[in-house]
Amino acid sequence: MTPAQLTPASFVSYSAPARAFAIEHLVLLQRLPLAVCPSFLQQIQNLHTSFPAEQEALRWQCTALQALPAEKYKQLTAPLSTLALTPALQSMDWVNDPAAFITELTAHLWSSGQLNLFRAAATSLFAAVPPRETTTHRTVFVVLGKDATIDPRKALRKLARNGITLTALKHETAWLDIRSTLQQRATDAPYASWYIDGGPPLPELTNSLLHAIAISYPGLSPLRERVLQRMQSTITSGSGGAEAMRTNLTSTSQQDVAAADITPDPILQRFYTELFTQSSGPQIFSTSFVQWTGRELARRAQPQTLLLRYTPRQAYHDLNELVTTTTPTLDAQGAFRDAEMGAYYNWIEMDRITTKGKLTFVAWIEDHPFAVILSPNAPTATTAATPMPLSEALHNFG
Amino acid sequence: MRRNLLYPSSAQTISATRRDFLRGAIGTLSAASISSAALASQTASVLRPTQKTIVVTFGGGARDEETFAKDGQENIPNLLHTLLPQGTFFSHVVNAGILGHYVATASIVTGSYERFDNFIAQPPPNPTLFEYYRKGLRRPASDAWVIAPSNGFQRIGSSSHSSFGPDYGAGVILPKRLLAAALHNSKSLDADRLSYLLQDSYEMPLYQPLQTSIDHELHLDTLSSTLKLSVDEFLQHARSLDSADELSIFITKQLMKQHAPSLMMLTLHDMDIAHSGAYSLYIDAIQRADRLCAELWSMVQTDPEYKDRTTLYILPDFGRDGDTDPGGNGFQHHRTGGAMARTTWMLALGPHLRQNTIVDRPIQSIDLVPTIGSVLGFSTNSSGKPIRELL
Ligand SMILES: [Zn+2]
Repeated sequence: MTPAQLTPASFVSYSAPARAFAIEHLVLLQRLPLAVCPSFLQQIQNLHTSFPAEQEALRWQCTALQALPAEKYKQLTAPLSTLALTPALQSMDWVNDPAAFITELTAHLWSSGQLNLFRAAATSLFAAVPPRETTTHRTVFVVLGKDATIDPRKALRKLARNGITLTALKHETAWLDIRSTLQQRATDAPYASWYIDGGPPLPELTNSLLHAIAISYPGLSPLRERVLQRMQSTITSGSGGAEAMRTNLTSTSQQDVAAADITPDPILQRFYTELFTQSSGPQIFSTSFVQWTGRELARRAQPQTLLLRYTPRQAYHDLNELVTTTTPTLDAQGAFRDAEMGAYYNWIEMDRITTKGKLTFVAWIEDHPFAVILSPNAPTATTAATPMPLSEALHNFG
Repeated sequence: MRRNLLYPSSAQTISATRRDFLRGAIGTLSAASISSAALASQTASVLRPTQKTIVVTFGGGARDEETFAKDGQENIPNLLHTLLPQGTFFSHVVNAGILGHYVATASIVTGSYERFDNFIAQPPPNPTLFEYYRKGLRRPASDAWVIAPSNGFQRIGSSSHSSFGPDYGAGVILPKRLLAAALHNSKSLDADRLSYLLQDSYEMPLYQPLQTSIDHELHLDTLSSTLKLSVDEFLQHARSLDSADELSIFITKQLMKQHAPSLMMLTLHDMDIAHSGAYSLYIDAIQRADRLCAELWSMVQTDPEYKDRTTLYILPDFGRDGDTDPGGNGFQHHRTGGAMARTTWMLALGPHLRQNTIVDRPIQSIDLVPTIGSVLGFSTNSSGKPIRELL
């Protein structure tokens, strides 16, 4: 089957909103090259468990592509249409199982040496979608370094190059300042405010950030443990390698891990489940969990306010062993280094989705007078050694 | 699909950045760090037949960012300040093939971009360096060895090519399998304490703690007949080590002592823990690899069988994804196929090589096999080209 053969009847197994969306954009779907059509279908299939921001983004993208002048569209999709796909790929049921097609396609593009071609062609196609300029201002706090020893000359250096470093922060009131800033800036838009904690959530935050969805590593541990059990059974079966492991994980659904025990919201059920099934690391390390959650939120929910707190993670032994370990020791220093890089990646991801000049990003080393602020008002690669509370720093540079 | 997009970044920019700082770093080195004897030997173009070759790959992919670029230099003091002044450094090595560890390592040893499934242990279709070497120079089986990280690599010693094959291949030692067999055999209480050495990463074709009894026998035989170690001796050494890479170096040392092989390849793989997303563990492993490379070079220089007749090539199999590539998650994986993940470096040291030298022109990782063939005098049928600066 080719995309040109798609009809409204093709989507009979889709949920009602997904089917409606597919039919509404049928003209575009029929014209898409096979190499990219299933990726659109995968997003459409998941529409009913997608965040509002994802739904809007998909609609925006489809509308923009559908509105391209025919000549321009033909020119942009020509390289994708010339990719050599195997008969096996072409005969897959990519309408109903687009995820399986995408996995096979990726392997084929690598092994046939067409990956670079595909990357370049897909980049040009999506570059034709104009960015969605929004007036949304986003505020992000990353708190890290709990119980770690800090070298102020090197701490957060990647972020520091892009913002102002405060070396004499009056940190006694930092939590209070973070809380009140988030309260002021949060809106009651759905899925727009989040608090993610690598350790037990702090009650003073969960009690005061009323609009925020609060999730923590220990809070999601029932899901995490169910995913680990599935990993463990793959390991002990001895029947599969990394590939079997990944396939097993990515095909695990929110029902398989009983995500309804955690939340009645199907959007959150899928989101929480995929934090452990579409990733590598969050199953084992809380630092990987916080970084990955921040990344996925930026890509999917697109938060207006976000608080990410990295805490000490379990010490490393061996991957196979970690899967079964129940009483791990903690590594605060390793966690701090993980979190420094994690915070840098969190900034890159949030910066990517925010209209220029609309992002305030603060990384604070917990219990230390040390923070970095990146925002339109913060000079880059500068240090401020004047003692000031975080509220004042935000007033000056936020 | 959006997730697979990237901001295109040019490989040239990457290399130029690295080269600039490297010039600075090397400019500060004193010429006294180069011995006059070594300088004199640079002119020797005809090599003695007892030439030894050791190839070390960083399997796991290491980025410039954590090695030779500005922020990374603190992780590699030995490579930068001890080994680089004694060798020729290539700042722009491209891997244009599949960025999976087994298939990429196989491509390095065949000198051809292999296209088979990374996750299935199989012999490469093209002849390996070891087969070209042993057949071309009529060398015995004990003269070529591979020390590789895990299962999946057990077939890397020889190809399925009809004119070559296992009769000309290298012996393959998988240290972690060896340890597993020894632990199994000794039934000692060490099992718990040593099992931490048996880690395998997400990207490897292994997650299988199970082994057949034939596996055990084969490994125990390797231990006694090849490495001349009793199970107890081996376990005692393993007990003093921190990681799988250290175990690999220990086995290399034992091979050098027992057989003095002329061709060895060793893959350091601890750094692939990066797939777990824990940056600190990835950095720890790079620092360890840096230290182990220096240890290996010092082993070479203190062993009369190897001293002044050994060429050492050190290269990552490839890089990892760039921080800003939206298709990836930075250092964690090597999935995007972007320029950062495809571009890496190589350091070559040896009596006939120029010291304290940086070569900027792009070379490819498949160029290594024809280079070694040209240096040692056997023919290869690789799609790579001999690297003239190393001949
Ligand atoms: Zn890897």
